[in-house]
Order: sequence, then structure tokens, then C-alpha cells
Amino acid sequence: MSIATGRATAPLAAGTTRKRAGILSRIIAHRTDYLYVLPALIVMLVVIAFPIYYTIELSFFRTPPNLQMRDKIWTGLSNYSTVLNSSVFHEVTIQTIIWTIASTVFAFLLGLGAALALHREFAGRGLLRALLLIPYVISAVAASYVWKWLYHSDFGVIGAISVALGITDEPINFLDNRQTVLASLIVVNIWKEFSFAMVMLMAGLQTVPDQLHRAAQVDGANTWDRFWHVTVPHLKGVSMVTILLLMVANFNSFIIPFVMTGGGPADASHIWITHIYQLAFGRQQWGVASAYAVILFIVMMTFGYFYVKALTRGDETRAGD
Amino acid sequence: MAEVVLKDVVKNYGNVYAVNNVSFTVEHGEFVALVGPSGCGKTTTLNLIAGLIPMSGGDIAIGDRIVNDLDPKDRDIAMVFQNYALYPNKSVFKNLAFPLQMRKLPKEEIARKVNDAAKLLDITHLLDRKPRELSGGQQQRVALGRALVRDPAVFLMDEPLSNLDAKLRVQMRSEIKRFHHNLNATVVYVTHDQLEAVTMADKMAVMNGGLLQQYDSPANVFAHPVNTFVASFVGSPAMSLIPLDVATQGTETSLRSPEEGWELPLSPMNARKANASSNGKVVLGARHSTLKLHRQAVPGAVPGKVYTVEPTGDVTFAQVFISGAVVNISLDPSVVIAPDEKVWVEFDQERMHLFDGQTTMALQAA
Amino acid sequence: MAVISETAIRPVVRKPIDWWRWAGRAFLTFLLLFTVLPMAWMVLTSVKSQFAAMQYPPQWWPAEPTLNNYFKLLDPNSRVGQDFLRYFWNSFYVSLVTTILGVVVAVPAAYAFSRFRFPGRNFMFFAVLVRNMFPAVVFLMPLFLLMRWMGLVNTHGSLILTYLTFGLPLSIWLLKGFYDNIPIQLEQAARIDGATRFQAFLLIVMPLSTPGIIATSIFSFIGAWNEYVYAYTFLSRDSQMTLPVGIQRFFTEFATDWPGLMAATFMMSVPVVVLFLVLQKYFVRALTEGAVKH
Repeated sequence: MSIATGRATAPLAAGTTRKRAGILSRIIAHRTDYLYVLPALIVMLVVIAFPIYYTIELSFFRTPPNLQMRDKIWTGLSNYSTVLNSSVFHEVTIQTIIWTIASTVFAFLLGLGAALALHREFAGRGLLRALLLIPYVISAVAASYVWKWLYHSDFGVIGAISVALGITDEPINFLDNRQTVLASLIVVNIWKEFSFAMVMLMAGLQTVPDQLHRAAQVDGANTWDRFWHVTVPHLKGVSMVTILLLMVANFNSFIIPFVMTGGGPADASHIWITHIYQLAFGRQQWGVASAYAVILFIVMMTFGYFYVKALTRGDETRAGD
Repeated sequence: MAEVVLKDVVKNYGNVYAVNNVSFTVEHGEFVALVGPSGCGKTTTLNLIAGLIPMSGGDIAIGDRIVNDLDPKDRDIAMVFQNYALYPNKSVFKNLAFPLQMRKLPKEEIARKVNDAAKLLDITHLLDRKPRELSGGQQQRVALGRALVRDPAVFLMDEPLSNLDAKLRVQMRSEIKRFHHNLNATVVYVTHDQLEAVTMADKMAVMNGGLLQQYDSPANVFAHPVNTFVASFVGSPAMSLIPLDVATQGTETSLRSPEEGWELPLSPMNARKANASSNGKVVLGARHSTLKLHRQAVPGAVPGKVYTVEPTGDVTFAQVFISGAVVNISLDPSVVIAPDEKVWVEFDQERMHLFDGQTTMALQAA
Repeated sequence: MAVISETAIRPVVRKPIDWWRWAGRAFLTFLLLFTVLPMAWMVLTSVKSQFAAMQYPPQWWPAEPTLNNYFKLLDPNSRVGQDFLRYFWNSFYVSLVTTILGVVVAVPAAYAFSRFRFPGRNFMFFAVLVRNMFPAVVFLMPLFLLMRWMGLVNTHGSLILTYLTFGLPLSIWLLKGFYDNIPIQLEQAARIDGATRFQAFLLIVMPLSTPGIIATSIFSFIGAWNEYVYAYTFLSRDSQMTLPVGIQRFFTEFATDWPGLMAATFMMSVPVVVLFLVLQKYFVRALTEGAVKH
């Protein structure tokens, strides 16, 4: 309760010293506080601030393939126009949007269903939750190899099952086919991360007061009504955060497309991230890749704004100094 | 033991003044209650005395030392917190021993002092428990024990009873009072509950909006509140306050209801007070026990209408609308009245309070 | 008031079928199969010979199960085994050092963010969070040059330094949540009891934040263990490689040995899955901390 509310009265009489401190003296007054943050700050400056600056700088230069950066040549905005005018960029952008949205939507819906079904206490619930979480815990590299083997064009078990069930006449070549590759990768991605949404939403469900459910029951609400009028409003905040986190993670994902297909066939499974990587480390076009990264940066800043807003929601200033 | 002196103490956060030029002196062995509504600056004041937050201005002295720039640990104080702040991972014994360990006392002496304190507070059987295994009252005792084990110059207590249930609160209230008496300790005690302050303290400091309103003994604060805030904050039920106009005809001064037009003649003493009002308006204050209820009009009584009647057993409270204000009146339980009944209320000229209609300060006879 | 007769006959109500419950069970069964079958197939493949694995239609159940693939990986005398064990050790070493350093750096920072109001605090906290947003690839190019300039390419130092920053924002955020839940009065009490601010932190707050430190450590360990992009870019020498990069390299040199790869994948997953199962409570708490409070 330490901060007085209401009345912002000015001091009554003289004799009050040090009443309004300037920013500099405030920094000096808090100088020891910074010591706690300093190690983190130094590490972050080296590994974050410098790279951001350098990426922006490189985006205005043509870089030599041998990566001797003192030989770079100023080209103004031409890297940006190269990126924005390339037809591959347009294609990859559409794939990125499909990848991000589809993965997010399905992972969220599966997670929501699981959270609701697991909310009720039953024997083996903890074990079930743990099992469902394993794909989220293991490395995406491991997941990629497992699914690459499941999708294998000759000996893949999924193809064999679909033939055995009479769905297809012969095994489908999931990954080496422009029509199916992106969807196939999205399935892997959903497999890997739906349980993240599940855990978040389970925690969110626990914040729904039982009394509200009982009150609604007394008021004559059926299961669906209660879900819609009691559960859903309570899950809004968590859902926002979860969807944002999923979007960010999906937009940033690299391993699954890179390890499983390398963006192929014919760029059909590239997303921005893998595409940038290929331009930089496959074709040594660091200037173009940097411009690409800066564009991605700007998009992410927009995400970032909402992300921070959603995360710091309700994180009011605490009492104390 | 030591005295505590606050002089022009200020704590501001930008333009918000949590504590605004507060000055008062706590004498040796005195029990002072800092009291006020939530957000009034009382806990901030206590934290400033403790040194837990830096001051923006002014001076604080404990004993003979100015402690403005001293760390809490160097101020020779002990503190009891509202949530007790017992170290949850330490046993009761270790909680009590911690302040002594920090002062690097030898092991045997720590054990002796802890056991003494435990005996005093009757918590010897709890020494091996963890705080979460204790009831609220037991936690409270341990918190007290941790404060007194060190024999500090001043005890600071921040709403130590507010987390207890009503019955336990009354019991602990007398125990703390007894504890103060036995140790002859200097205590600064923060509470939002005026009853606690009135019953326990030698002096009370009433705060509002970061400003010290009145600093005096509970009896004086009760009898002579300096302004309408103090008047309405101290006492239960609160003092009733009726805003009225001053009407003067010749040598006679009376109070007139701006809404209902009736006039209440004043005694010469009260007339002099009313005439000192800065804008011709006063607030009439009266405690429930000083009022008399009549069923018929009598001289010196004003008309009102009963709003509710609350029997409490040995006394019945009636709330009566007078000139738009709600007035509390205590009645003998045998009196039978009903809501909406028309009544007349007689004021005791000796024991009524008059406050300035503008400044809200108590009026003095000119 | 109505009087309820004691002899009133209660209507016989047959409990209606709870369709929602059945729908939930069906859905969970589907999810369980979706989750487990791929992993099961990994394990089943890993105990087949290469010949048995490469058949169409597949052997649904291994006709002659064998642990040879695992023996090969764990045999320090075979070339495959040597490489695998070295990768495993590299991964473990890098993850462990990252985790320890991460805690050392994150603990004071998180504490400061939770407790102090210093100028720039909000900006710095924003920076910490935003770092979470940017993909590795954005930082990869300049970091690669930076590491080359510092002579750290092909060393574990490059990975540890990167993972440290990688993990810091999340670690700080998680720990801040734990510190927020420790009442500030405990420290105030300690300071009045004679502790300095630092002692209060060390003796009172630190022990109480152990669960937070465990949760944060699991996160950084698993994150470092699973990391691929930086390791793939910064390391080109066989002797330095970590598991995610290593197993890829070594199985694509020849025709792919799928059962061997599945065995390696399984082995790679075991440490994190065990860590997760043992410390599940902390893991889940860490995952949801911050997003679901209030």
C-alpha cells in the first residue's frame, strides 16, 4: 500500500530537499541495481546488439563470396529490390504464411481439445499428459528424422498403411512432391508443438473458478453453454499468449523444413527463414540475405509489439522501491 | 530503549507525495499507533523509519543518532510484518536465531536467547516446526519472538493483527499491549483499524493523503478531533457530520439547515466558534452517545426521519436523516422506534463539535 | 411455503449418456495414437536389421529383433561408436556449461527486474523479451563473422556463448516470475534482522527460488541439447560436433542406414525425455509461468 493514491499534494513548507531528482541522479542513486543486470547486459550487447547493427549495415552492401567483408561494395537499396522483386520471394512468402497460420491453428485446436478433455480428473491423466508432451521435448532434428522415415517414398509406413487400407494404390511420395510437401511438413510441426498449447491451456483452465461452473449449472446452463459462457471468456488471455507464441515459433522454425527437405523440391517447402539461410550459407549472397533478414526483422517487430503487450498484461508495478 | 524523532519527513514518487512533511516524536517506552485509511502513507512512514526505502527529504533520528543514511541492519530496530514474513524454509528456532546469527553471537548465547524468547511467548513446543505448519496465531507469536529476541531500541509493527480472525485479534491485542508494558518498549505500530489504535496506543498519529492530521493521545484525539477527517475516522460508529449554514440575528447565532430551513440555536461558546467560520458554513459534528431522541418537538431539537434501527444487544443504534446527512444515535434497547418514523434530535451544546465548512478544521472560539 | 412430503416418489431418472465425455475420450485416443505411433515406429525400426527395415510392405513387427544398432553406437572400438560417443559427450558438455553459466547470469538479472525500479528497467526488460522473438537465422550471419573474428569458430565456446544469450531472455523471464512470488517482506525482515541487501538475497531469497532455478535449468539444458542451427553453422570439425548435427553428418556419408539412424535418434532423445519425466512438474510450471498468472 506504500504509494499514496489520490491527492498529489505539493510539499507544504520549505525544508524539503531532494524532492525531484533528475534522470541522471536517479541513475546514480540506483547505480548498484545495475550491477545485477550487468552480466546479462554485456552478453546481450555482444550477441544481440552487434548482430542487429551489422545485419542492417550489410543489407546495403554487395558482399564478396569469400566473406572478406572489407571488400564489400555499397549498393544502396538494391539488395532490398532484389529480394522484393524475386518471384521466389513471393512464392516463399505465401508458403511462410500458410506454414505459420496452418501450424498455429491446428496446434492450437488440438491443444485446446486435449486440454478440455484432460481437465477432468481420471486415472492415468498425468501419464497421458507426459506422453503427449514428449514430442515437444525432443529435438526437432530427431522429430524430422523420424517423420522422414515415416514418409519414406519406398519403405515409409504411412504410404504402406494408406495402401493397406485401400486409400491409395501405391505409396505416395509425400516429400518429393510439390503438392504434398508443405502439408506433410506442417503435420510434423503440429505433432511437435500441439502439446505446448495443451499445457498452456490446461494451466489456463485451472484459473476458471469452480463456483462459476456451479453457478451456471444452477442457472440451467448445459455443458456447451458453460463452455461458451464460463470457460471461453476465462481462456481468452491465455489463448492470446499461446497463439502469439505459436505464431512466433512457427514463423521462426527452421529445423523441420531444413532437415527434412532443405526447402525442396524446387523451393516448394521453403519458408523465409530457410530461404534466408540458403541465400547466405548456400549461395554466399550475404548482402541480399541481410536485406531479407531486415525485412523479416520489421515483420517480427510488429509481432513483438503484440507479444510484449500480451505478456506484460497485468504485470503492474509492484510496491517497494 | 530509545526515542524516535521524525522531522519534515518526505517521500515522493515523482509528483505523488506518499509522505508529506511528517514530523512527530515517539518518547522512550511509548506505544505510538500510525493510523489512517489505506494509502494514507502510514506504512511508507514505517518503512522510512526502518530504512527499507530511501527518504526524499527530512530527518529521522533513533536514540541519539540521525539514521537517514543507515542501512536497516544498523538502525537497531525490529519489525513485525503484516504477513509475518517468517522465513518459510527455516524452522521456528532458526527464524528466531537468524537476527542473532547475523550479529555473529556465539552459538550458546543464541540458543539461550531463543529459548528465553520462546518461553516468554509460549512457543517452546513449536521450535522445530516450519512456519507453514503453524496456525495464524502461532505464526504471529513467532514473528513477535523474532522481533524481541534481539532486544532492539525500537519495535516497528506493520498491521501485525490484520491477518488474524476477529477473536484471535482481540486476544493478541491484549498480549501485545502486555508485552509492551512488560518490556517498556518503544513501539511504532501501523494499523488501519482505529479501534486497535485507540485501545493499544499511548499516542496515535492519524494520517491521510500523506499528511499527518493529528498526533495526540487517543483520548484527546477522540475528544478534540482537529478536523472532519479525524472526527469521522476515530470512533465507532463514526462521529456524525451535518453541513449547515450559520445564521445570525442580532446577538443570537444559530445553525440553519439549507435544505429543511429549521434553525438550531447555539450556546454563547458555540456561537463564537460558529462565527469564526471562514465562509458562513459549518459542519456540525456529534457522537452517537451525546444525542437525545424525542418523539415530539422540544426546544433545541431538530427534526429528522428514522432510516434504520440496529439493535446490538446492550445498545440500539438508530440512523436518522437530518438535513440530508445520516446521524447515528445510541438508544436504550427498550426504546421502540420504526423506520420512517418522524423524530426530533437534541444536541448537547457542551459536547458538540463545529468545523469550518471550507477548511474542515475544528473551529476555535474567536 | 410448500411442504415436501416425505413419501413423495422420486421420478426414476436414467442418467443420460455424457456425450461430451465420450467425445473427449475418443479425441484423447486419437491424439495418443498420433503422438505415440511415430515414436513407436522409431523404436521398432531401431531394433531391425537394415535388411528387415527396407522391405515393402514393411515388417509391422520386427521378425528378428536385434540390439545390434545400439551396440554399434555404444562400442568405443568401432568408428561409428567413437563418433557417436564423442558427439554425445560434446552435447552434454556444451549443454551443462550453458546451463550453469545461464543460471549464474540470469539469477541476478531476474532478481533486479523483479525488485528494483531503476531507470531503463522497462526498456531493458523489453529488450530481453524481444530477443525471444528473433529467429536464430537473423543473427547467424553477423554472429558467424563475430565468432570468426574472435577465433571461436569450430570451438564449443561459440556455441556456449550463443546458447547463453539464446536462453537468457527466457531464463530471466521465468525466474522473474518466481521472484515476483517471493514476498518482498522476507527480504525486508532479513535486512532488519541484520543482513545486508546481498545477504538477504543470498540467504533468504536464493534458497526459496530453488524450484525456479531448477525449472530454468531444465529449460536451458533441453534447449542447448536440442539446438541445431548454430551448431550446424559454427562447427565443421568432426571432433567438435554435437549430437543433432553429428548424427546427420555421419549417416548421410553413406547410403542411409535407417535403423541405425533411428537408434541414434532414440539415444539422442533419451536424456531430455528422462530429464523431462523426472522434473515434469517444474517443466510444466516453467512453460506456463508468466502467461497464465493473475
